[in-house]
Amino acid sequence: MLQRFLDPATLASISGLDLVAKTVVDGFVAGLHRSPDFGFSQEFAEYRAYCQGDDLRHVDWNVFARTDKCFLKKYRGETNSQLLILLDTSASMGFGSHPVTKLDYSRFVAASLCYMANVQRDAAGLIIFDEEVANYVAPSTRQGQLFRLLHAIEKAEPGTRTDFAKPFIHFQNFLHRRGIVVVLSDFYEQPDTIIKTVEPLRFRGNEVILFQVLDPQEIKPKFREPVLLVDMEDARSALEVSPEYAREEYRRKIDAHIEGLSSAARSHGLDYFLMNTARPLDEGLREYLAVRRGRL
Amino acid sequence: MGFLAPWFLAGAAAIGLPIWLHLLRKHKTTPLPFSSLMFFEKRTQSSIKHRRLRYLLLFALRTLLVLLIVLAFARPFVQQHIPPRTRSNEITVLAIDNSLSMRAGKRLADAKAAAKSLVASLKPGERAEVLTFSSRVQVLSEVTDDHAPLNAAIDSIEPSDSRTSFAELSRSVRSIAKSLKLPLTVHLYSDMQQTGMPPNFNDLRLNADVKLETHPLVTKEEPNFAVENVVAPRRVFDNKKTRVLATIAGFGVHKDVRAVTLSLNGRAVETKNAEVPDIGRATVEFNSLDVPYGRNKGEVHIDSADSLPADDVFYFSIERADPRPALFVHEADGNGGLLYFKTALEAAGQSAFDVTPGTVDQTTNLSPSKYAFVVLSDIGALPATFENQLRDYVRGGGSVLVALGRHSLNFGGKVPVTGQKIIETRYSGREGDRFQVTTWLDTSYPSILKDNRWDDVKFLRAIRIDPGSARVAAKLSDQTPLLVDQQIGEGHVVVFASTFDNIDNDFPLHSSFVAFVDQTARYLARMDSGPPSVVVDSFAELRDSKERGAAVDVVDPKGQRALSLDEAAKAQNIQFTMAGFYDIRRPNGRNELVAVNSDRRESDLTPATPDTLSLWQNTANGTAEADTGAAGDQKPLSLWWYVMLAVLALTVAESLLGNRHLSVDSEAA
Repeated sequence: MLQRFLDPATLASISGLDLVAKTVVDGFVAGLHRSPDFGFSQEFAEYRAYCQGDDLRHVDWNVFARTDKCFLKKYRGETNSQLLILLDTSASMGFGSHPVTKLDYSRFVAASLCYMANVQRDAAGLIIFDEEVANYVAPSTRQGQLFRLLHAIEKAEPGTRTDFAKPFIHFQNFLHRRGIVVVLSDFYEQPDTIIKTVEPLRFRGNEVILFQVLDPQEIKPKFREPVLLVDMEDARSALEVSPEYAREEYRRKIDAHIEGLSSAARSHGLDYFLMNTARPLDEGLREYLAVRRGRL
Repeated sequence: MGFLAPWFLAGAAAIGLPIWLHLLRKHKTTPLPFSSLMFFEKRTQSSIKHRRLRYLLLFALRTLLVLLIVLAFARPFVQQHIPPRTRSNEITVLAIDNSLSMRAGKRLADAKAAAKSLVASLKPGERAEVLTFSSRVQVLSEVTDDHAPLNAAIDSIEPSDSRTSFAELSRSVRSIAKSLKLPLTVHLYSDMQQTGMPPNFNDLRLNADVKLETHPLVTKEEPNFAVENVVAPRRVFDNKKTRVLATIAGFGVHKDVRAVTLSLNGRAVETKNAEVPDIGRATVEFNSLDVPYGRNKGEVHIDSADSLPADDVFYFSIERADPRPALFVHEADGNGGLLYFKTALEAAGQSAFDVTPGTVDQTTNLSPSKYAFVVLSDIGALPATFENQLRDYVRGGGSVLVALGRHSLNFGGKVPVTGQKIIETRYSGREGDRFQVTTWLDTSYPSILKDNRWDDVKFLRAIRIDPGSARVAAKLSDQTPLLVDQQIGEGHVVVFASTFDNIDNDFPLHSSFVAFVDQTARYLARMDSGPPSVVVDSFAELRDSKERGAAVDVVDPKGQRALSLDEAAKAQNIQFTMAGFYDIRRPNGRNELVAVNSDRRESDLTPATPDTLSLWQNTANGTAEADTGAAGDQKPLSLWWYVMLAVLALTVAESLLGNRHLSVDSEAA
């Protein structure tokens, strides 16, 4: 029932980003409650006979009462993880062929990830960048961290052009603990350049997830007539494009780009996921959880 | 090339629509922000140009389509050259009016002189024919280039008493042109009376190869007095003074007093003065006419002193005869309504019949043949000899009126003479319907023709008979036939299903009873009450079916036999062509004196306006052709159909091409 709240167009009508994140995650969790693998609270692992020196707090007194023997109830050990979200706010992210722009969608995803991390007591951080680092919220589990994150996300506006090389050098300075790095961007750059820029993050033991956020009109452009396209990141650059070209040649190129980025990312141990802004958000969250579970 | 509706060309402004759609709207490129152009190339321009070329073809088709639709509305035409109509072998037709109005002054003589001068001016080899017209058209000569027969035909023209009919002339000219298949030039010599024009102008239409030249003999109206009408009885049966009413009309005259004289058999009876108002009518009443026995020639004439004396006299015939006997048979124990019947006949105005009453027993020694008609009023059984005589009498042309009552039921259940079966007696008692009324009347039946106000008549008893093949003229509310007319041989038997005695009905107490009895008596006695005079060119019947082969003598107003011997033996009708008295002597002794008068519309000498004559001439394009005939003619040939076919073809092409573009768009959508 709550799945419908994961629809981007529906979320766009919700004013508060915290409410958006709560709606998404709660709806997402409710949709997954039947999953046998799911569970990020303390999970039962095994019973073990008491040995001297064990903490008496872990003795299962119910068992002791019935059997008159001391057993310890063991839980699966949990490790707090660190989540760092890199949100691209370049001008191209402001594109949207429907009410939800790519940046809006990315904000929803980022907010939802932050909320989910907060629920799991993961330290979450945020870096907002275009060709410069626009904002940085250091990962933390402190009280009020979620609201700081959401506030930063809320303030994110489309900026100038994308330049991966420059901000990513700074990112490496921010990463002191290994954790999960989520990059939300449209990746309008050559795959090799992207991988080359992002790969150093992987060296520190981070799990890097590339979420390529694209509008349906970018994946499969549909024009009824020739149009004059103006580059959002460079207003001086404009091209008149025929519907035939957009329907055939462009699609081949964008598909090749997506495929190239995907394969290059995987070959370098990076996780890649294409996010269509017309699709529900849960697909992106599911990808994040799959990666996180792998780390446990 | 021209346009029948050129103002529709303003619709060409609609071309702006495809221009806007294709050239303005299509080329107006709105910049569309896009996230990145890294996957687009400049070579897409050529594709756009190619696409524009394709759109240009669609644009051209649509523009042409709009233009052609506008063109279709403007009704384009081209002038089609028609070879000049040659008027070679043209025939000149001289049409001379000899109607009554041509008797005025020297009109006919002038017309003949003008026609003769035209004949004299004909070139050698130029053919002509002469015809005269009034209400009929008579061709007096063959088509010839010989002037002698043409002049002789003109000389032979005599004035008639008929009225002018230009419609008849046009019809004849059309017929002549059709039969000769040659161009005609009709020279019309007439006083061009306005009254000769038909009510429907289309009747004057002439063929395209007929050229009409009018030669009006008068151009302005002449004053004329005429005796327009005389009202007098056709027959009188007593020696009372007869009343005669004459109407004097003045056409184009000023107020004047005229002496009006009533004559009978050539002897002046009375003269009175009539004051005729300006262009109006005056009525003169004569009350002192003593009509002698026999058929008399009456005349009313005025001293008009105008140019047309032919209409100054009006003829009427009046006959004095003894009342004809009629036999009224009733039962001895009741007079069967004799009083009512006889009183009604006398109240009708003229004592045309002398009713002889008689009981059933007295009929044994009577012969019905000497009676105008026989009435059997509510009788039982008739003596066999008398009934046989009655049957022979009816077969020979006699007539019987049968009234059915309570005694009729004793007659073997049958109606006397006709033998029709009596089904039942219909009583109206205290229960149910108190009385019957007539619900259906055949108003064309002579007995009912003049007065059909039978609604208030109450019928308390009626005898229902089976009418068989007889004509039912009236029915009661329960569909009982009330008045039935059965023809037997040459005669009629009229059955009235009730009585005349105010017992079975109250019919005798109503005024309509008088009209019924009078009209029925006249119908049975075959006493027609036609007008005392008829107009020239009307017809009269000369014989009935049983008089076939017997000679009928007709003496015309000039005292000559109007029919040849062959016609006298065979002719069914005669047409009265002259004004005056026609004496018709039939083999059965039914002689008749018919007064014939000319149509008084001829008395109005007002000529038709020149505009009317010009319109008549233009009904044939003869005049126009005569002017342009040498150079030929241009006839507009409409291109509408061709344009519409082109529109259809273009629409199909546009649909096909447009669909191709739309299919691209739909895939993109």
